Amino acid sequence: MKTGRRYAGQEQADALPGTPPQSRVWRVLGALASLKLSLVILAALGAGILTAYLSAAPATWALAAPLAAFALNLLAAVATNPVFRRKTPLLIFHLALIAVILLLAAGRLTYLKGQLELAEGEVFDGQLTQEESGPWHPRRLDVLRFSNEGFTISYAKGVRRGATRNRVAWAAPDGSVQHAVIGDQDPLVLSGYRFYTTHNKGFAPTFTWYASSGAAPVTGTVHLPAYPLHEHKQALEWTPPGGKTPLWVMLQFDEVILDPAKPSEFRLPSGHLIVVRAGEARYELKPGERVSLAEGVLEYNGLRVWMGYTVFYDFTLPWLLAACLLAVMSLAWHFRGKFFARPWDKPSTGTS
Amino acid sequence: MAMDWEPLTLWVALVVYVLAGSLAIFGGVLRTRPEKAVLALLVLGLLLHTASIALRWERLGHGPYITMFEILLSNIWSLLAIYLLAYWRIPAIRPTAAVVMPILFVMMGWLLVTSPHEGHLPATYHTVWLFVHIGFGKVFLGCALVAVGISGVILLRGRRHAGNRFASLPDDSRLDELSFRFMAIALIFETLMLIAGAIWAQDAWGRYWAWDPLETWSFLTWLSLAFALHARVAYKVSPRTGAVMVMAVFVLAFLTFFGVPFVSTAPHKGAV
Repeated sequence: MKTGRRYAGQEQADALPGTPPQSRVWRVLGALASLKLSLVILAALGAGILTAYLSAAPATWALAAPLAAFALNLLAAVATNPVFRRKTPLLIFHLALIAVILLLAAGRLTYLKGQLELAEGEVFDGQLTQEESGPWHPRRLDVLRFSNEGFTISYAKGVRRGATRNRVAWAAPDGSVQHAVIGDQDPLVLSGYRFYTTHNKGFAPTFTWYASSGAAPVTGTVHLPAYPLHEHKQALEWTPPGGKTPLWVMLQFDEVILDPAKPSEFRLPSGHLIVVRAGEARYELKPGERVSLAEGVLEYNGLRVWMGYTVFYDFTLPWLLAACLLAVMSLAWHFRGKFFARPWDKPSTGTS
Repeated sequence: MAMDWEPLTLWVALVVYVLAGSLAIFGGVLRTRPEKAVLALLVLGLLLHTASIALRWERLGHGPYITMFEILLSNIWSLLAIYLLAYWRIPAIRPTAAVVMPILFVMMGWLLVTSPHEGHLPATYHTVWLFVHIGFGKVFLGCALVAVGISGVILLRGRRHAGNRFASLPDDSRLDELSFRFMAIALIFETLMLIAGAIWAQDAWGRYWAWDPLETWSFLTWLSLAFALHARVAYKVSPRTGAVMVMAVFVLAFLTFFGVPFVSTAPHKGAV
């Protein structure tokens, strides 16, 4: 019998008890378990990573195929090679590697990554501005709620962003309102969904729209482009609810919010105007002022800030960490046993 | 005018390192073994280097892990610290200093032409995972450097001009065994570095892995290391082939550590 996967000291006659030596299944498993095949798969994985890295289009297959082959190779090795019955750390290491690959696959099938924006005082309603998810993602996002209670961001000299402190509130399962400060390293975790603040934030004029059709007034915010990233483009085209004519809205202020010459903090301008353009007409609004347009009346209520968040869901995270730690600890255990068994400067006896 | 101790201690440390390295190289060429002098000089250099880093840390309020100057400054320190430990504990491999020190000379030269300006500490760096991730990375590269020193001797022995200058070291098969033991330890610490980095990335950027340039090349380095260790078991490669594989892994690791920050536009700049 030849398994193909040989370790130093392994006997040629190794076989599972009761297994016919020439069984076809056994030969296939032996070939799958080959150490040399492992090398080919590692090389294929490296090539797959380079392909995915250099390719403009998604190349998941380039990683998935070698990883699947690697899992089969490891499983066959564990099933057929008696060295794993003798060397517990090596067995644990290989099982942990298999677990890592399976968990990675489970993670890719069930993950969710997305983005959202909330103005100060707004409540997240389950809607994302962008998202991607695995085909088996158990969508529980729609029932999650939290509100943005405002934030502070410090800037060092040269407009270099410092700590972000975002106050958030949400309702606990018992109905009580919970508060927390998130930002930078500290996400808000709700039902496995991790909400992170981002560098993306800006100003949000708040309007109430009274449609001439008689529909109920609608109050909402317009999220202007991120600040200070688009410092000189604080304008946006926007169509009021139920309307057809787009409006062009611009925030205008003269003061320096983030002074490159000294430390500063992200804040609202102390004085500002909102410029509204509807066709050829131009209006300037201060908080509390309103303007009559063809399709209704637009009332400007005031300026707020908005924060961009990313949301990430992957239920495998703690299991993946545990499997990785188990793999590395068992590998260290294996090497320790191997190295302590024989000093490096003593001749090899032919066994590992 | 008050003396600026920070650059002064660094300059003196570098001069002492160069003296130690030169002594080791000339010792190899002249077949003398000035090992105690080399050891003493390396210890002195490392103490001065430590003092310079401590002064900079105190002045800036953060450790040496932001700018390229700081990356080189701290990596020369950690590589020397790990090599010094091996040099002290394994006297049989001390002639490998003639291989290792020139690599460090290149890094020292690079350090001297790099601007020592102050960098901005990003908000995501205020975490213990910074130290865990960087610490594991430094042990990984240090172990790989020791293996490179040993592998360099194996490869040099085969050259005609090397003569019997490394005859005092153990035979190739034993050096190969020791070299791969260091590579095995390097694999453990590189794996830990990747795990700690993934934990940090999850907190800092909301994802544990995104195949950014540094993550990609770090994983390729990990794969190459795993490949080299596996190939040694699978094919029983000769010490010379093993030495070539060690060199290849180190080159890839070196380019990942010090090359990717130049080409990457991702937030993960690899300031380790």
